[in-house]
Amino acid sequence: MENYFKRKSGEDLPNSIGMFSRDRGIIGLILIAIFFLLATPLLSTHRVTDFMIFCIFAMSFDLLYGYMGRLSFGHMLYLGTGAYGCGLFINYISGNFLLAIFIGVVFAGLLAMILGLITVRATGACFALINLAFNHIGFFLVLSPLRGITRGEDGFGVSPSKLGFLNLSSRPAMFVFVLICLLLVFYFLRKLTSSPYGILIRSIKEDETRVRFLGYNTFLYKWLTFVIAGGIAGLAGVLTALNYNFVNPNAMDVNGNVGVVFACLIGGSGHLYGAIIGGMIYMVISNFLPIYIYRWEMFLGFSLLIIVFRFRMGVWGYLQKFFDYLERGGVVSRFLKREAI
Amino acid sequence: MIYTIVYGLTIGAILYFISIGFSLTFGTMRVINFAHTITYTIGVYILITLVNFLKWHFHFGVLFAILTVIPIGYLIERFIIRRLYGESLDYTFIATFAIALIGVDAIKWIWGVRPYPISDPIGSYITLWGLSLPTYRILIVVIAILLFFALNLFFKKTIVGKIVIAALEDKDGVRCLGINVNKYFSIVFVLGSALAALGGVLYAPMSSVHPYMGLSILLLSFAVIIVGGMGNLNGTFISAFTLGMVMSITARYWSQGAETMVFIVMATVLIFRPIDI
Repeated sequence: MENYFKRKSGEDLPNSIGMFSRDRGIIGLILIAIFFLLATPLLSTHRVTDFMIFCIFAMSFDLLYGYMGRLSFGHMLYLGTGAYGCGLFINYISGNFLLAIFIGVVFAGLLAMILGLITVRATGACFALINLAFNHIGFFLVLSPLRGITRGEDGFGVSPSKLGFLNLSSRPAMFVFVLICLLLVFYFLRKLTSSPYGILIRSIKEDETRVRFLGYNTFLYKWLTFVIAGGIAGLAGVLTALNYNFVNPNAMDVNGNVGVVFACLIGGSGHLYGAIIGGMIYMVISNFLPIYIYRWEMFLGFSLLIIVFRFRMGVWGYLQKFFDYLERGGVVSRFLKREAI
Repeated sequence: MIYTIVYGLTIGAILYFISIGFSLTFGTMRVINFAHTITYTIGVYILITLVNFLKWHFHFGVLFAILTVIPIGYLIERFIIRRLYGESLDYTFIATFAIALIGVDAIKWIWGVRPYPISDPIGSYITLWGLSLPTYRILIVVIAILLFFALNLFFKKTIVGKIVIAALEDKDGVRCLGINVNKYFSIVFVLGSALAALGGVLYAPMSSVHPYMGLSILLLSFAVIIVGGMGNLNGTFISAFTLGMVMSITARYWSQGAETMVFIVMATVLIFRPIDI
């Protein structure tokens, strides 16, 4: 009921995306690119590449949590599957990294297809815990029973060969490659979430029973979203493997899920920009804060509590409110009106 | 083979202690309580401090550990979970997870990351049919069965238990009768935390003690309540012992795969049974 009123006031309507409405999508892409290019001199190229990969991961999580309302605490499983799929392909079959990326994404997607059949039927915290359980199994499998292939805790190196003029071992090339991936994923998810399909999965978040009464097969859509999110997380995993030239079970670590949940919440869930902002915030915090704060996990716990109690809209939510204010009758539009006269 | 059965029964008993509180909190309050890991772990660490460092007797250590966990459980319920009733389940889950993170870090701060050993407090063996079995494990199974009957008695005969059972069925109906449901929820929560601590301290001599020990046991007890049914007391009892047997039989043939097998059983159950949660 609460959501119903919110929808009436026009804040949460699927098509109103604040100042970035449909025709300004390209501007958004350019802004993101400029933002990351500007960030490189401040931080280092390698770091920013890492941050962008995490942003891809956060966006895939946001599709699941922010748009469809399914909180997964086992999303690292797909990241890890992508990383291992790509790494193993390069090590054992061929060094062609484009094929390896494809294989990694397909592996993660296939795993999401199989597990999605089970997990997607649950909702709420059960969904989270079932995913967490699967992630736990995956981590354990990689760590010990599959030791022969994955080399257990030590991990293995990944060295893709050159492909024409593309040489991913140089940092700037990797940066550009990841940036292109990020923009493609962003564009794809934007198109996806503003399409009728996207509106449908938002409606599933609001009230699934009602959507089912309208005659939609909600299971199919939930499953499809889960597979897409898994595949994109796999892409993030592949890029992680290529960026570090190394894969170890940390890529599948259960505790990594907290990071992406934190990123999604602080950025503002249910918005792709929010996922990117949140991803950047989390990565900056996690890269620089542990130097100053020794009790890092405790800090993370307290900030999660604060977000849950006081800061649910996230950074993007507040920014959007500000933009709305500007558009509705704020300084800019008044100024523009005067110009028109 | 007898050893495998006894081992399975012991694990089942421990799983029962931990999952009963988990199941009750979910059944009444619709809250997946991730903070269960922390009440479990804190109980064990208090026991270690008392027994290993202060040289207390094991029994007093167990008693004191459980008594210490009760106020902690109450504080978590009063100040975090009660403020999130009726809101999105995801927020409650994230909040309890945050508590677990804080708790784990606090434990690392106070006691360090190093695992502690704790020895079998009884150390004697019972000879049954020509086999010598550790008394401690048999004692755990006996305690679990006694607890099962005690809980059944509590929920069938006392007024508090009856209110909780009624709230499991229909929370709003109970509220309409003019009963302050929140009070009983906190009783259930504290009871669950105390039982988790009991499971933890009894399991400690058989496992290694480290700050992250709660996570895998929480996932196992989650599997137990999925198999047994949420908020179903008898179902939890049966499924805890069944999954305990599954673990021990798997461990006999493939020692690493015990936990994985439990989750495979859980996944199979999930395929064949609709989840309406």
